[in-house]
Amino acid sequence: MTLAFILVIAAALALVFILSVTLSRNQQISRGVGLAAQIQPIDVEAFRTLVDPLEDDYLRRRLPAAEFRLVRRERLRATAAYVRTAGRNAAVLVSMGQSALSANDAQTVDAARQLVDNALLLRRNAALALIRIYVALAWPNSGMAVAPILHGYEQLNGSAMLLGRLQNPAAPIRISAAL
Amino acid sequence: MRFPAFFAFAFLSAIAHLALYAADEMPSITAENFWRIDWAGLLIEGPLKFALVGEIFAQVFGSYASLARLGKFLIRSAGVALVLAAAIAAAYTPKDGVFGIISGAHVLEQTIYLIEAGLLASIFIASSYFRLSIDRPLFGIALGLSISACVHLATWAVIANGGWANSTRARLDFLNMATYHVCVLIWFYYLLVPARVSQKPAVPLPENDLDLWNRELERLVHQRLPQP
Repeated sequence: MTLAFILVIAAALALVFILSVTLSRNQQISRGVGLAAQIQPIDVEAFRTLVDPLEDDYLRRRLPAAEFRLVRRERLRATAAYVRTAGRNAAVLVSMGQSALSANDAQTVDAARQLVDNALLLRRNAALALIRIYVALAWPNSGMAVAPILHGYEQLNGSAMLLGRLQNPAAPIRISAAL
Repeated sequence: MRFPAFFAFAFLSAIAHLALYAADEMPSITAENFWRIDWAGLLIEGPLKFALVGEIFAQVFGSYASLARLGKFLIRSAGVALVLAAAIAAAYTPKDGVFGIISGAHVLEQTIYLIEAGLLASIFIASSYFRLSIDRPLFGIALGLSISACVHLATWAVIANGGWANSTRARLDFLNMATYHVCVLIWFYYLLVPARVSQKPAVPLPENDLDLWNRELERLVHQRLPQP
């Protein structure tokens, strides 16, 4: 009977999750335009400094080991916050790109597809980078490769620019500097 | 045809259930033969359900090159974990020595629905994490199948493990049938009723500070980016 209880609970949880996805999907469809407001700006320069391995090397040479670990953990927490924001922005851009996939203009559709692909890649890499950051939090002396996130974020920015320009040729400057 | 596995499943599943109903009503069919027919239906329906889950997965993730490899890895990992969990659950489910053909069918139902519900939940979790928009007919098929799988998993787990009286089992059978009919209505709704056409334009990208945009553009143009 314990097994039955476990399976019933698991089935109920799965059902609740699937129904909540259905509800949020319906809300997303009706919400639409509010998506752009969900993008949170990122200070790309500060992000770049945080993930620069040369900075880490410099701190390692200059600081005593215990102090370096403290500083490194603080930097890792800050990096995690940036990566989470980048991942959330990527998710918003996936939704925005998908809404442009139904456009009549082939060039816009291509740009939208490129934006969606880049955003998905970034979202995937952000999840993997967060795992690496949490591992590095436990072992602050280990190396950490978050640079691909930064590169992906910049690529995403470029894709968003292109799509924005194609969607609104009259105002090419409107694109997502907020990214 | 866009959903061959779904239509094969719907068609063969309807035939299997009609055959089972006829076997239940015909006095010439013995109880043992009824359960043999039930087993045959399960053995046809099981692989069809997994083919249908594969079809849903391919259509949700297949069009995104950046997710194709990760998606396959995730679904395979989930599949292996679920098969393992279903095998452990089946091993711990009590067997009836006298009516093994009946308890065996219950365990098989529990196993199929455990793997099916788990795979569908994995697809929903991954698509929700990546915010993939699933088009209306495919979403309807996945939703109906998921509701059916979750409810059937719960009821078959209780039937297979509970040792309850026949009257209670009959009530759970009615719950299964009612759920399946609701799912058929969901499929009809999503496949036959067209979506309301939205007049909203594509979501515009946000307006931002001109200076910041120009600076960012300039930096991107002049920067030497490493090749991916």
